[in-house]
Amino acid sequence: MDHRDEEQETIERALSLFSQNHPCSRRQFLKIGGISLLGISTLGPLLARGEAKAPLIIMEQAQGIVIADPTRCVACRRCELACTEFNDGKASPVMARVKVIRNLHFGPQGPYVGQHGQGNWGNGLVIPEVCHQCPHPVPCANACPNDAIVAKPPLNVRVVDVERCVGCRMCQRACPWGMMSFDAGAGKATKCFLCEGKPKCVEACPAEALRFLPWRDLTDKVPPRVVPTAALPPEKAASCSECHKAKN
Amino acid sequence: MAKYGGWAGKVLRVDLSTGRIWTEETIEKYKDFLGGTGIGYKVLWDEVPSGTQPFDPANRIIFAVGPLAGTGAPCNGRTAITTLWPTCWPKPLVATGHMGGQFATELKYAGYDAIVIEGKADHPVWLSIVDSQVKIKDARHLWGQGIRRATVEISQEMGSEAAVAAIGQAGENLVPMSVVMNSVSHSAGGVGGVMGSKNLKAIGVRGSGGIGIAGDKGEWEKLIKYHLSLLGANNQHVVPSTPQPWAEYYNPASRWVAGRGRKWGASTPTIETGVCGPHDLNRMAYRTNNFAYFIGEGGWQYTVRGSGCTACPIRCHNIIKVPSVAAKYNIPEVGQNTCSGLFFGALFFKTFPDGPRGQTAIEACMVGMHLADDLGIWCNYSQLQRDFQKLYYSGMIESKLGEKEFKGYSWNKYEKGDPSFLFELLPRVAQKEGELGTALGLGSGYLLERWSIPEEDWKGDLKTLYWKMGHPRHHSNDEMGQCGVIVNTQYNRDCQCHSHTNFTRNGLPLEVQKRLAAELWGSPDAVDAIGAFTPINPYKARFAKWSLLRKELHDSLSLCNYMGPWAASPLKERGYRGDDSIESRLYSLATGDRKDRQELDQAAERIFVLHRALTIRDMGTKEMRTQHDTIPDWVFTDPSGKAPFTQGTVHMDREDIRLAMDLYYGEMGWDKSTGAPTEAAYRRIGLAEVSEELGQRGLLP
Repeated sequence: MDHRDEEQETIERALSLFSQNHPCSRRQFLKIGGISLLGISTLGPLLARGEAKAPLIIMEQAQGIVIADPTRCVACRRCELACTEFNDGKASPVMARVKVIRNLHFGPQGPYVGQHGQGNWGNGLVIPEVCHQCPHPVPCANACPNDAIVAKPPLNVRVVDVERCVGCRMCQRACPWGMMSFDAGAGKATKCFLCEGKPKCVEACPAEALRFLPWRDLTDKVPPRVVPTAALPPEKAASCSECHKAKN
Repeated sequence: MAKYGGWAGKVLRVDLSTGRIWTEETIEKYKDFLGGTGIGYKVLWDEVPSGTQPFDPANRIIFAVGPLAGTGAPCNGRTAITTLWPTCWPKPLVATGHMGGQFATELKYAGYDAIVIEGKADHPVWLSIVDSQVKIKDARHLWGQGIRRATVEISQEMGSEAAVAAIGQAGENLVPMSVVMNSVSHSAGGVGGVMGSKNLKAIGVRGSGGIGIAGDKGEWEKLIKYHLSLLGANNQHVVPSTPQPWAEYYNPASRWVAGRGRKWGASTPTIETGVCGPHDLNRMAYRTNNFAYFIGEGGWQYTVRGSGCTACPIRCHNIIKVPSVAAKYNIPEVGQNTCSGLFFGALFFKTFPDGPRGQTAIEACMVGMHLADDLGIWCNYSQLQRDFQKLYYSGMIESKLGEKEFKGYSWNKYEKGDPSFLFELLPRVAQKEGELGTALGLGSGYLLERWSIPEEDWKGDLKTLYWKMGHPRHHSNDEMGQCGVIVNTQYNRDCQCHSHTNFTRNGLPLEVQKRLAAELWGSPDAVDAIGAFTPINPYKARFAKWSLLRKELHDSLSLCNYMGPWAASPLKERGYRGDDSIESRLYSLATGDRKDRQELDQAAERIFVLHRALTIRDMGTKEMRTQHDTIPDWVFTDPSGKAPFTQGTVHMDREDIRLAMDLYYGEMGWDKSTGAPTEAAYRRIGLAEVSEELGQRGLLP
């Protein structure tokens, strides 16, 4: 059996394991195949969406997420300040990984709807935006030509590996919610990394508008903010077809 | 040169006459004056000669913030605006207005600690600041529009995140009683006309930078959390207004009004404020509800949420939703402001059909905010409304207006308490229309002069709350006896000082306040119970000096003087102690310029004394005690005839106040007979050049 056939057999064995709801950790899976994938994840969310046959997930599922309640947000921006001051030693909300100011005055629609929108000038609702710690496919990670966005244990939060990041900003173009930040001083992308499990924004909020909860999939619940304009690097597009096979 | 954190590093200079735009180095030129009002006074001293009028092109208007603005230090979202004051009577002098919102923060992120504007454009313009890209842009399409439209249209051009400070029609028309506003509800009174006189409609700022914190980020995080732990509710009230499970004390006059059953009733869904203890820093925003504080329990059902300045967890502004006003008055059902700004409309009326705190009063609030915060009219700390009531009910308005103009107003609506009357009155003030519209917009001093009313009539009437030079008292003897009186003598408009009243009204029992006062000002005798004052002593004078210097310090650092100083805290485990060194600790760690409490207070004194020097120079006299530091007669009278220093009265004794001023001048190291700083006093705090200049003019005692 050549290498590709071995891979194929491994994948099919793994698929059958998952279809039977056989619990299988990443370590077990790698032992089965001896193949180095980027990572696998539990299939819970996909099964919950009612997809009969669950494909492999490339990145470990995140274990935590920050959720924002705009009906509590009082638009003080202390979350943005805590994020950058306590993590980066500078007050720079433009690179904050929780985002408020862009919705604060006029809401997501902006002043282009006058005072008919949200925000302080509209109906008062201010929406703090948070990283959804996306399940596969992770747009920012997929767009990165250097695989610089990785899942970091123990929470598998999606973080920028600054050693690998070259500052091309493709990730910023890939995120449908515009949640990628860029540290202009360092020349590197940055994003929410849940502060090692104690998110500073949650700690800083004086209105209980931010909560740190077990991960849940918000990607199909929160409308995207921007049309992503990043292209998937060709080598990554090719690897998609290892799992996502066309019927011949 | 040492690199500091905190400061952005540049002062933006704009000359609207020539279109020239340039920058100065903040540290090089202004570090000893910190920022905010410090930069403002320094610019006026250096550049604006005596005799300049507020609406002259040569007048400067300085928008300045401090090294803490834009950081995570609690309560730093304040911009100080310094200029020659249009309502200062009989002669314009230096004064400042202050606005909150998002402007201070955005200015810092754009890279500036201040904007100094001089000259006059030859057509309406607005100033666009996008980081280092500064442009003077055509505002002819905005001129004649209100603050809201100007803000929306500028934001459409600059982007949603822009902070826009704009004037309304009142400022355009050079109405002295006019404001500049940013972020919906945050106004600086008195300066709108100065911008209007320069043909400057608005300033829009977008900043993509940040502010460096000099100190270790872990240390900074600890310090911020420590400061947050000491915060109370609005005005640093440190006990709840009703008995709460976590509190040893309570005080019905406290602004810490959260409790079970008190909900943000117009939020969807409603939010119960519930138990908000001092250790629960995630619930700080629920402690305060200024709308409900003033209007009563009926205010909770209209409360959507709190709002306010950048970085402040207290949220002293309210967003309120009153559906009835939409159909009744054709105005939006959502309004937003705080304290006198919220009650702008209601305070004009002597009576409402359903009482002072009923539905009609609330509707008057909404109509008032809708009009005043778009036209950009100033209330002069509600002096406008008090003047209006006195002038109407004394028959003065009727006698001064011609018959035709008088009949043009629906006075029956006014007397009945119909909020729609405001639609007749306020636009006329903004447009200087008619005798009444013109006179009301002048400010009290010029209004009285125009109508040949002796100032003594106002100074003798407690109900006016008029103090001097065209402006009212601002927390005077009513708040803390002699200390409040001293504080109110020192400025060229209402003193805007809350240092003293934040402490005396914090709700703690007198014995606790006295214990803290002993640590802070040297003796428990520094404070009395309100309404049971005792004769003056040196510690009260020390309390007054501390109040004034800290106010000036806050206005220079960018800290909110409605919240600080943090003399007390809600923490029983600290004996309710605050931390009197919080300002210096924040300053030192943020900037890297290490100053202890005394050293930073010395910088504050330098700034405060520069204000004194400017006042002396531009009044052309050193006789401050008799010509400037005056006290109205009503301070010394009590309608019930009670003697001073007896229970239940707040009025003062003339001889006692004479001694109080002696002690205050002594504390400051100033000459007692004139109340003017001596040469030694100037030199001691680094104002030798100022002293020389005043000496040449014969203005040293």
